[in-house]
This record gives sequence, C-alpha cells and structure tokens, in this order.
Amino acid sequence: MNSNEIEYLECDVLVIGSGGTGSQAVQGAAEEGLKVIVISKDPMSSSDTKICEGVITVRESGDTTDTKEILSENIKLAGADLPDNKITAAFANDSKSAYDRLRNNGLRPSINKEKNTPKTLAIAMGGHNKSRSVGHKNSGIAFGHTNWDTIIKYKNVNYYEDCWFLEVVKKEFQKNNNKDIEVLGGLIYDAARGKILFIKAPSVIIASGGLSSLYFPKTDTMRGNTGDSYALGIQAGADLIDMEQIQFLPFCLASPPSYEGLLAGEPSTASFLGVLRDKNKKIILDSVYLRTRAECSEAIMRAVEDGRGSPNGGAFLDMTKNMSAPKSGKYFMKYLKSALPSAYNNARQALGKEAGKAEIPWEVRPSAHYSMGGIRVDEYTRVIHSTENLYEPKIIKGLFAAGQAMGGLFGANRLGSTSLTELAVFGYRAGKSAAKNANQSTKHNNYDIFHENYMKFKNIFNKKGKLKAYKLKLDLQKKCWDNIGPARTEKKLKIMLSFLNKIEKDLKSINVPNEMIWNQQFIDFIELKNMIITAKAVTTASLKRDKSVGGHVRLDKKTSSLFSKPYSTLIKINKNNSFGAYKLFRKKTSLKRIINYKISEKFRFMKAKILRSLPESISDSIIENKYKNILGTNKTIIKPGSIDGASGDKVNQI
Amino acid sequence: MQEKYLNIKLKLKRNKEFILIEYKYKKRSYDERPMALDVLLQAQEEKYDDLAFRYGCRARNCGVCTIDVNDRPKLACRARVKEGDILSAMATLPVIKDLVVKRDAITRQLKGYNNISHKNDLNKDADNSYHNLTACIECYACLDGCPIHAKNNIVDIQNNVAYKYGNPYSLLKIQRLLIDPLTPEIEKTQLIDKAKSLGLEIYRREYKNLKIKCGVGINLKGEVIKPLLDVAFGDEVEKENQ
Ligand SMILES: Cc1cc2nc3c(=O)[nH]c(=O)nc-3n(C[C@H](O)[C@H](O)[C@H](O)COP(=O)(O)OP(=O)(O)OC[C@H]3O[C@@H](n4cnc5c(N)ncnc54)[C@H](O)[C@@H]3O)c2cc1C
Ligand code: SF4
Ligand code: FES
Repeated sequence: MNSNEIEYLECDVLVIGSGGTGSQAVQGAAEEGLKVIVISKDPMSSSDTKICEGVITVRESGDTTDTKEILSENIKLAGADLPDNKITAAFANDSKSAYDRLRNNGLRPSINKEKNTPKTLAIAMGGHNKSRSVGHKNSGIAFGHTNWDTIIKYKNVNYYEDCWFLEVVKKEFQKNNNKDIEVLGGLIYDAARGKILFIKAPSVIIASGGLSSLYFPKTDTMRGNTGDSYALGIQAGADLIDMEQIQFLPFCLASPPSYEGLLAGEPSTASFLGVLRDKNKKIILDSVYLRTRAECSEAIMRAVEDGRGSPNGGAFLDMTKNMSAPKSGKYFMKYLKSALPSAYNNARQALGKEAGKAEIPWEVRPSAHYSMGGIRVDEYTRVIHSTENLYEPKIIKGLFAAGQAMGGLFGANRLGSTSLTELAVFGYRAGKSAAKNANQSTKHNNYDIFHENYMKFKNIFNKKGKLKAYKLKLDLQKKCWDNIGPARTEKKLKIMLSFLNKIEKDLKSINVPNEMIWNQQFIDFIELKNMIITAKAVTTASLKRDKSVGGHVRLDKKTSSLFSKPYSTLIKINKNNSFGAYKLFRKKTSLKRIINYKISEKFRFMKAKILRSLPESISDSIIENKYKNILGTNKTIIKPGSIDGASGDKVNQI
Repeated sequence: MQEKYLNIKLKLKRNKEFILIEYKYKKRSYDERPMALDVLLQAQEEKYDDLAFRYGCRARNCGVCTIDVNDRPKLACRARVKEGDILSAMATLPVIKDLVVKRDAITRQLKGYNNISHKNDLNKDADNSYHNLTACIECYACLDGCPIHAKNNIVDIQNNVAYKYGNPYSLLKIQRLLIDPLTPEIEKTQLIDKAKSLGLEIYRREYKNLKIKCGVGINLKGEVIKPLLDVAFGDEVEKENQ
C-alpha cells in the first residue's frame, strides 16, 4: 500500500457536515475544550442551511402564552401522531435558547422595539397555533455566515472541506443474541489533496443532511443531498424510521432546464380563485389555497399518470381568475409578488412576462424538499439500533445523528420554519452528548480495523468496467421519481425494488480510474452507492406503510383512518443482510383533539365553496376586503415549505 | 435561422497541464439560452463522465459554482453562454482538477478572527450596511483584480494553510463584524489590526485604480474598503484622495 495516500488523524469528536447541524455540533463539543474535526464534501458551510429561506421557529417570540407543551403537541399533531414525544418535548424545551445561541454567534433579526423581541412574520404561520416564526434579511445566507463564523471561531476545531465521509469505523461484540456496537472513527476521501484520512475518534456525529437528490433535477435542494446520512447510519447498524415520509413541494418549475425543480409557489399562491388544470384545461383541483401540499401533488401526479399531464410532466396552475377580477385583481398581483418573493422571481424569470402577470397559467410540477424520516435517535441524539424487541432499544456507543439526518421529530409532516430550529437544538445536543461520551471513553491504539475497512474502498480505485457511475446516477434518479416519488403504488414500489437489485449488481461493472486527486468517478460511485441504499430504505418503508399519510401518497390505497393506531415504519439490516421493515407503534393523541381538527377543516372548505358560488360582483368585494386585511400590514412573507404556504396542511394531517 | 448547437470551449487542468476541448452543446429547443452550468452538466452526461466542476443550489445562493467565462469570474448557474465562449477554472485560486479550485486557504486566514464573547443585549437592530454585507454568498468573484490577493502564492494544493494576504471577501467579513451592534468597542482595535495584517494598507495606495466587482452586486469599495480605511488610517486617506 502506498503509505503517502493515507493520513492518520485523531480527535475527540468528529463531525460530518458543516451545515447548520454540523456547526452547532461543533460549538457544543468545542465549548467543552475537546479536539474537534469537522469535515464536509461541500465547501465549508455551503449546505441546505445556506440556501434556505431563513425562517426559524422560536417559541414565545410572537406570543407570551406559547408554552413548551403547546409547541410540542403542535409538532406531534401536525406529524399525524408519528413523532416521538420525548423528541418533540426536547425541541420545544430548547427552541428559545438555541435561537439565542445563533444570535450570539452573529445572526441578527429585526427587533420588535415595543416587545423587545425578534420580529415574527406579520401573519401567524398556519399550522403553527401561535405566532413564532422569525424571518431574516438575506434568508439562509445569514445562517450561512453564522455557521461559518461559529466553525472558524474555535482554536481547538480543525476542518477539512472537499472531503467525502466514506464509512463509520466500528467494533462489534456479540453478547448472547444481541450485539453491542462501538464507534472507533471514520474513513474519509480527501479529494482536494488526493488522500484517505483515517480519523480516530470515540464520538462521530452524522450531520450530513438529506436525500432529495434522489429526485434530481426535481428538487430545490443542494446537489449533495445523496442520502449519505441514512446510508452511513444503516451501515453502522442504526435503525431508520419513517423513511417513506418525504416532503414534496407541489408547485415547482418544470422548465426551462436551468430552473427545473426550483420553487414557483405554494398552495397559498393560488389564492382564493386559483385552480389546477390538466392539459385539456379541465379543472383537476379547486380551492387550491386550502389544500395540503400532498393533495396538490397527488392531483398533479394523477393527471400525469392518466396521460393528461402538461408537456413536462406536471399540470397548470391557473390564477387568471384572481388577476382578472375587477376590484380584487390588483390586490392579487400585489399579494402574488410579495408573499413569496424568491419563488415569484424564479417563476417570472423562468416562465416569462405574461406568466409573471398571471395572464397565462403556470406549468408546475412537484419537487423533493425534505426528508422527515431518518436515523433513529433518542432525545440526546444518541443513535439507536434495535434488538429483537423494537421497544427496548440499544445505543450505538459513540454514534450521534442530528438535523435532517435524524428521524422521529416530524413524523408525517414538517411545519414550516421548524427545520432550522431542529438543527440548532439537536446539533448542539449532539455536540454535548458526543463530548460527554468522548470524556468517558478510553483510547484505542491501533488502526487495524481502519486498514481492513479501507481495502474495500482501495479496490474501487482502478476498477475496470464498462459502466459509468454518473450515467447510472441519472438512471436511478429517473426511476426514483417514477416509482418512489410523490405518487406511489404497490406495483411501482415492486418495480423499484427489482430495479434497485439490478443496479446494485451494476456497481461491479463501473469504471473508476486509478487517480487520487479529485477522482470524479470515485466520488460518483460512492454517492451512487449511498443513493441506492437510501432508495432501498424508502421503497421498503413505503411498502410497509400501505395507506396514504402525510408525505407518503399511495394512489392505490385509502388515506389512513382517524381510528387506527399511529405507527412509524422502521427499517434495519437483518442478519442475512436484507432490509427488514417493521411497525413501531406510537402514542395516540386523544380522539377529542383529532375530531376538533377535522371539524375546522370541513368548515373552511364549506366557506370556500360558498364564496365561489356567489355572483362575481359580490365575491369580488369580499375578496378585495380579505386582501386588504392580509396586505394591510404590508408584510406578507410566506415561507416555502411552510404550513402557511399550504394552510390545508394544518387541518388535514390525521 | 437559429442553430441547434452551441460550440463551447472548456479549458481544463489535467495532470498539471491545461488542455482545451471543444464541446458541442445540443440545445434542447432552438431558442434555449443555456447557462454555463447547463453546458457542464450535459457535457458530463454525454461525453466526459470524469469532468470535475462544482455546483450546489443552481439558484445563485450557495456560491460554489464560480468559474471563469472568457476569463472573467461568473456564477456558472446564472451565466448565460454564447457561441465560442471559453469556460475555465477561476484564475485567482489554485486548480485541483478541471474547473475545481481549492478554496479553503481563504477561510483559514480568518481563523479565530471573531474570538469575541457577546454577552450583552441581543435585542439590538443591526444597521442596513450590516445586512448589505451579509448578502455575500462567498463566491470569490472579487478576488479578480484585487491587488492584495495578487501577492499570494497560489499554487499549493497539498497543504491546508492560510494565505498571507487578504482580499475583498476577508475584509468584508472583518467590516461586518466591526459594524455588528454586539461587537464590544475593545475588540474593534483587534479587528483593525487583523485587517492591517492582511494587507489593508495596499488598498490605501491603490484605492483610486481599484477595479473589483462583487458577484452579487455588493458595493465593496463603498461599504467595505472605504470604511475600513477610514477607521484604520483616518484622515490621511482623505488628504491623499483630494
Ligand atoms: C430552498 C429551501 C428553503 C428552505 N427554507 C427553510 C426555512 O425557511 N426554514 C426552515 O426551518 N427550513 C427550511 N428548509 C429546510 C432546511 O434548510 C434544511 O432542512 C436544513 O438546513 C438541513 O440542515 P442540516 O445541517 O441537517 O443539513 P445541510 O445544511 O444540508 O448540511 C449538510 C452538510 O453535510 C455535508 N455532507 C453531506 N454528505 C457528506 C459526506 N458524505 N461527507 C462529508 N460531508 C457531507 C454537506 O457538505 C453539508 O455541509 C429549506 C430548504 C430548502 C432546500
Ligand atoms: S463579496 Fe461578493 S464577490 Fe466577494 S465573495 Fe462575497 S459575494 Fe462573492
Ligand atoms: S450553484 Fe449555487 S450559486 Fe451557482
């Protein structure tokens, strides 16, 4: 073995990812005076956190009656009762302190001078039962600076960018029928310097984000979301939960290619009179502004399945009625431009001037946005691998996961602006838990297991074959969209499984040159492998959940009933190396509360229906007044992915 | 009549040498005006699966896709290309491979620059300039034409060490911290010393001829360099400029 290509490093806490979660993990551990290494495949702090809309949930920011219990239950109900109570409680408990920590690190919101608090959005975000969403100038970029400043601040932190984390190195001990797992560190490909890093660390934190690139280019997230977190987790022995729960935003762009996948609007964009139409101009969904994202996506995808889709595989969002109404029309245009400014700009640039004025319908198609499912952790972010009994979990010693990588917080749906809080709360908790574990660990002295594990990767360099990893990636991405996208059926899921088995075999025939510095084919190979493992988890979980709920839409099955017992899906690797799927039952919220939810939903749809059936002269005036109320405060910023963008999401969860 | 193809040249660094290849971009419609990133993605799919380039958000937010288009830095995801354009790696940073440059020597020069504990009132508004500077996406387009950065030796890709001399970006980070309402007065001298140690003085001499352009339109001369020079060197600058 060429010894030049290996670099040996050691630290107490190793953090994978330099987004919001990674930087908060760094802070948590670095404050304890420990030696921290953070690595990321993208340049430091370039991440979903940096490109997001920058709206964050802060308890009590807009309403002093906002208790921990209220917030925690709000998250749980929105998630169709799938979330883990202890995790939602931790979220509610830390949300304020976590936000103040970001402010100490340099995040500067606008201040409400009267109340001496950060300013919340002008209208309380739908789905949130209190006003608690704080927006920021420069959106996610402001968070990007804060994360960057945090990582660079500590002398005991070192970082390596352009580094692909390959594998968690661990030791296993068989105990009776169960096994204990202990983390030793990680193997990393440093593409910039053409080296393999062997990093010895008693604590490893997975903070490497989501999986939306499975659906590229039908996604609004960063390129690097290739499911690495979940693949690393499950290969280290972790359980994955709710992997079928993927949030698709329904109204994203389908063309031109440079804009494909980017956000155009939310259900609320459609406003009072907007409808969805198929290619024959037939209405496929009305009252769009009251619908959930999943409902809108479902309507679009059903039309596509029937051969009634738009040229680029979507449908048409028709807002012309809003625009042409004599009195309210001008207010609509104001609303359209100001509610979601960045989305509106995408749409206008991509679809042209007429579309910008809502004179013609917009071609829209869903995009993958966020993974609610993820690595199973406890409220301290310690990663869990289950025993025979799913309810008596074991901890993988030294492994932690937080942010989009983790599961158990949002269940079937994520309320807008909660992900940024998730990463500040659980990233920091991960740093603290990892530090505690490192302080209690004894040092391991040899690199034998590292060398053994490395041989697998070493053999990938200089692999002769006919296939190209990049091409296979594109192939996989297309299949993911078709079969495990926003509209699923048993037939499609089975097709997907057999495709995955085939492409797994294809890995053997991929060509990778023998080159250490920035070996693009090696990088694509590794990412492809992670994507296959993650897609397999999503497919297996989707088969296990044979009803539609939240982000999981089954065209061939009914929506989950009110009276059924809520469960999370759980995927783990069985002894024979296959993926096993299980149900993990959750605590059910009282029926009374659920029925309240349902009644308010029915009421809202009835009101919308009455409004539409009135003569235009009357409805126009009513709508004009509604706009005046919304726009009156002159600040109608709605967040993409937020429940405010899809007010239907707040009532239609269960 | 509109052509169906666009001929684009890619100047790539492979095995320590630069090579020039021509790629025929196949337009997806006759009126398509593709971005540089569209060309790279298609080239990778159709012909060069080993092509190395960076991108992330495709929407002018993440700041990692900067390349040179006809020798000027541009964000690949939002730079439209035309017949005969040449795409190459940024000339101002060392090339790792093809269009990928090593970026971290810039970040490293600020390690510990913000070693400040803010234990004061968090509920203070920052002024507009603070937010204007926060719009920076860290694309490094402003290294082009910077007389301070030009002094660095930029060939090394093997060592993770900081550059000695600064650039508009690192000074922007310092100025941003300087006008942060939470930065205590006593820390400000330290920040100015840091700016000086990165070569701020050179801007003082070359201020008039300074041609730097921010990739997202931040007024670097007016909102970063001028205020820093004012605080660091006071009226001396005023005199010289008169
Ligand atoms: C357009 C958009 C708008 C959004 N708006 C909001 C909003 O307003 N409010 C809100 O709360 N949420 C929003 N979200 C969601 C939110 O931004 C993300 O869920 C959150 O930022 C995820 O943070 P993270 O730290 O877990 O992952 P990321 O920020 O994605 O960071 C992942 C990190 O891991 C690294 N990495 C990945 N794989 C590897 C590997 N194998 N080896 C090494 N490093 C690796 C990456 O380089 C990166 O540094 C939005 C998302 C998008 C895409
Ligand atoms: S100051 Fe402007 S050009 Fe320089 S890195 Fe920031 S955004 Fe890019
Ligand atoms: S890809 Fe993110 S700025 Fe160009």
